[in-house]
Amino acid sequence: MLDFKLVSAPPLAGYDQSFEGVTLRAPADLAIVSLALPLGGEAAAEKSVKTAYGAALPGIGKSALSKDGSARLVRLSPDAAFVIFTHATPDAEPHVAKKIKGAAYTTDQTDVWTGLEIAGPRARTALERICPIDLHPDSFDVGDAARTTMEHLGTLIIRTDEDTFLLMSGSSSAKSFLHAVETSIQNTA
Amino acid sequence: MTQVNRLTGGQVDRSQVLNFTFNGKAMQGHPGDTLASALLANGQRLVGRSFKYHRPRGILTSGSEEPNALVQLRSGAHQEPNTRATVAELFDGLSATSQNHRGSLEHDLMAVTDLMSPFLSAGFYYKTFMWPKAFWEKLYEPAIRKSAGLGRLSMQDDPDSYDKGFLHCDLLVIGAGPAGLSAALAAGRSGARVILADEDFAPGGRLNAETLEVDGMSGADWAAAAIAELNAMDNVRLMTRTTVYGAYDHGIYGALERCTDHLPTSAGKPRQVLWRIYSKRAVLAAGSTERPIAFGNNDRPGIMLAGAVRTYVNRYGVTPGQQVAVFTNNDDGWRTAADLAAKGIAVTNIIDTRDAPAVCEVPGARHIRDAAVMDTVGRKGLKAVTLTSGQVIPTDCLAVSGGWNPNVHLTCHQRGRPTWREDINAFVPGGDLPPGMAVAGAANGSLTLAAALSEGRNVANAQIKELGFTPSRKPAPKAEDEPSNGMAIWHIPESTKRAWVDQQNDVTVKDIKQSYREGFRSVEHLKRYTTLGMATDQGKTANIPALAIMANCTGKSLQDTGTTIFRPPYTPIPMGALAGRARGQDFRPFRLTPSHDWASKNGATFVEVGNWLRAQWFARPGEQGWRDSVDREALMTRGSVGICDVTTLGKIDIQGKDAADFLNVVYANAFGKLPVGKVRYGLMLREDGICYDDGTTARMSENHFVMTTTTANAVLVFRRMEFVRQCLCPDMDVHLISTTDGWAQFAVAGPNARNLLRKVVDEAHDLSNEGFPFMACGEVTVCGGTPARLFRISFSGELAYEVAVPARYGNSMIEALMKAGEEYNAVPYGTEALGVMRIEKGHAAGNELNGQTTALNLGLNGMVSSKKDCIGKTLAARPEMNRDDAIRLVGFRPVDRSVKLIAGSHFITKGDDATMANDQGWMTSVAYSPSLGHSIGLGFIKRGHERKGEIVRAVSPIHETEMEVEIVSAHFIDPEGERLRA
Repeated sequence: MLDFKLVSAPPLAGYDQSFEGVTLRAPADLAIVSLALPLGGEAAAEKSVKTAYGAALPGIGKSALSKDGSARLVRLSPDAAFVIFTHATPDAEPHVAKKIKGAAYTTDQTDVWTGLEIAGPRARTALERICPIDLHPDSFDVGDAARTTMEHLGTLIIRTDEDTFLLMSGSSSAKSFLHAVETSIQNTA
Repeated sequence: MTQVNRLTGGQVDRSQVLNFTFNGKAMQGHPGDTLASALLANGQRLVGRSFKYHRPRGILTSGSEEPNALVQLRSGAHQEPNTRATVAELFDGLSATSQNHRGSLEHDLMAVTDLMSPFLSAGFYYKTFMWPKAFWEKLYEPAIRKSAGLGRLSMQDDPDSYDKGFLHCDLLVIGAGPAGLSAALAAGRSGARVILADEDFAPGGRLNAETLEVDGMSGADWAAAAIAELNAMDNVRLMTRTTVYGAYDHGIYGALERCTDHLPTSAGKPRQVLWRIYSKRAVLAAGSTERPIAFGNNDRPGIMLAGAVRTYVNRYGVTPGQQVAVFTNNDDGWRTAADLAAKGIAVTNIIDTRDAPAVCEVPGARHIRDAAVMDTVGRKGLKAVTLTSGQVIPTDCLAVSGGWNPNVHLTCHQRGRPTWREDINAFVPGGDLPPGMAVAGAANGSLTLAAALSEGRNVANAQIKELGFTPSRKPAPKAEDEPSNGMAIWHIPESTKRAWVDQQNDVTVKDIKQSYREGFRSVEHLKRYTTLGMATDQGKTANIPALAIMANCTGKSLQDTGTTIFRPPYTPIPMGALAGRARGQDFRPFRLTPSHDWASKNGATFVEVGNWLRAQWFARPGEQGWRDSVDREALMTRGSVGICDVTTLGKIDIQGKDAADFLNVVYANAFGKLPVGKVRYGLMLREDGICYDDGTTARMSENHFVMTTTTANAVLVFRRMEFVRQCLCPDMDVHLISTTDGWAQFAVAGPNARNLLRKVVDEAHDLSNEGFPFMACGEVTVCGGTPARLFRISFSGELAYEVAVPARYGNSMIEALMKAGEEYNAVPYGTEALGVMRIEKGHAAGNELNGQTTALNLGLNGMVSSKKDCIGKTLAARPEMNRDDAIRLVGFRPVDRSVKLIAGSHFITKGDDATMANDQGWMTSVAYSPSLGHSIGLGFIKRGHERKGEIVRAVSPIHETEMEVEIVSAHFIDPEGERLRA
């Protein structure tokens, strides 16, 4: 046997930058597991999720925090949702599957995505340059989520706080995505 | 140099001096000036040469409709041609040069074309350069191109950056003149989200140019107060220097914001931003444009629109002349006379086409009624005008007013047709507006100030009420309805000299009449035949007079004559702004494989595959070219073991109780009975029976499959399967999600593949041929517990595996694999060696799955299951697709082994002519096989499977090559498949 430990190196690991009025960072150990509600088993799955997380699976385009605040449930479509939480080891999927007692089909999405959290009073101004979604506080509530494209890249955007947004895009194009967001911040500085 | 024409007053900041140059001559202006107002202040009337006849031209207007005063702005790589001096904001250090002359502006050698004008009328090129035909491309076109065009490109890369963006609002107000400001105030006070955009740097529109009062204060002061109120509202975004240039579907508008054009440098920020504005409702308050009257030699520098003349006087504190005459067919022209006289400028004559009393008292001016200008004098600047009566009036500035045209352009962007209003002699918006748009003020034909203010408010209130807002009760600001009687006069028929209608394209009244005589009578034909209404100004001052002259010829009404279709953009948009950030490296995003960093450090040359960058080969010191590297990689893999990053293949996670049934629908072959822990090759057909994509699908558990697709089709296959799931099989419990980026996947191929993997895969997992046979799959752990997936599949034909780890471990995993492979001399290989080995093995790839070939062509017809239905099965059974003489995929090798095969060659039977009729098929893929020591190929040929051993000719007329090739099995290496099962 080879004596070799594999090292985890997500594409934007450790990225954390402050600009005037905006901070941009890649949240560490962001784990994502998808839930697919079985046909005919939707009610049971929703019940199981509620029991596991102390929060109901929200409506489409909305997200909700678990009761203890450690996980965010994002509803993407009638039968699809994400659980987003902090988890360092590569066993996020079995962890969630166990928690909801297998009531939904689960797929590990952690490495599929790269996450960037943009925050601060100028976050919306920067996002205006790449995000087609209306992010006005009255139109996009705290907790709202939307799928869109930014600079040709499929992106999931979630408003996690007053002036804070979590952006998730494909991990293979993470560097292009970071460049797009950074350019938007710099162009509006 | 002193500013000889600078007056007092206006909205320029005299406390600051801005230095600029025109044709190298130093001049001065002030903040608040445009280049045009500053040129006039410095007495510069001659600004450029006209497009076709190189006629001396000056400044006609004070806005974006300017046809004449086009200059090259800035220098070097920043040089921008055809910039309208009337909208270029003055900044310190600005340098501008005039355009379209050989020699100096004053002594243009090309002015000789003006003498030849009798020969250069409309349609000249079409008639003259027809023969001999061969001369067009080599002689005529280059010569015409050389003398055509106005400005010159820098021929360097644009050093500025550009950006794009997205905005949202309840109400978009287009134009910040009286109607627009009134509309924005009303909507803003109700709490609606408002965007107010104006092309000018100083909002206010004509309020800044007139002396009319609003709510008891000067128009400009009222505008400033309105802007202050709007700026204080959080729900209002005021965008100056922003032109809304197009009205698109669903309330989307295009807008160009000029962010740094008024500054000496962009300082690293985007010069311009192209906005996409999503509006729920819009108010078009784009104002109106004054039109000239066509008379002989009406294009001399010093002849200007009357409204523009008073704009320069009132707004910029500049007089365009010292002895001004006014020529008008309406009351508005009189305001120019009155405003100028009030400033102490000598207004000598008011020439009115109407036989009517004076509109107002203008001290010192003589009123000549029922009269018209028919000719002018002064080649490089107006000296005098001649009336139809023969009277000559000395003047250095003639202010001409032919009435005002509502700016209806954006109302027509979705095929709306304007309607003619006889009472104002102008086209107004028709009923068919873009959905969500309403029009207010002068753009709607409400040409007086009081009407514009109240209509702006009322229209905005109606718009926001529909959105559920409660309009504020505040009344519209108060102003007077100024008189505006006009007479329908378009040109002066007594003029014997050329009377210019479109000054930018040098189109005269005579040209329009000739167009009529030669049968080009529809307005669209008139435009194309004469070029009227083209180029940067799009005929904003020319269109209506031209249509009226055409209507005169045809005897039709103006309503029946109609306008040409107005299309976006309203004013020119630089190509750089349309490109935005999509330049060079940023043209599109890149996708990097998980081992990209490792590959970069280990000599990889990368190739773009879609958005992916893949390692093409890994050069080693001493290798003379790519072939050396690729041959070595293939030989070392077949000799011992090679490793290739295959992450780019699409991966789709499929779960659900009906997952197997679903696969039976999308794949031609059956998956229902695939055991857990096994992989199967799968073939997808399109609805028409043609092959769509191929790949492998592994059954991880009863209800869980992992599919791979080709790299190129990963997104398309996922999208199509999602369509099938949602629309064709809504009753199936099946769920799809892409995991392409989630797993770093490596092919480990070669006789030592198992030995290598035994050092990486944790010992608990049995890798023996019995325990993990060909086409096995399973979840394993590697390097002491990291979760992984292992598939025993082979694209190379060798004993091979694909091992996948979560992508975050990908770069580390290839290091582990290489370290474990050291004792076996393991080699990383790129896409080229991958391609060589798949051709050696006879596997189809994109060249064979090209969207034209069937399962039968590929020799995979046995895979289309007869026991179940699948997408494409019915249409794949069509007789034409199952002909006995169908092309079949086979291998080819050159009879002379030293010859290199050429992909794309067509096969011809020996002795036949190389014609389309004798075409037997074509070579799809070729490679040099380092294992066999000669070139090999795959290709399709009629009845190929029955013709092994036959010699045919491979002909490539493009390469002018022909060679004899032998038809052989497509499986050049290990045809029995013993290696991969070892």
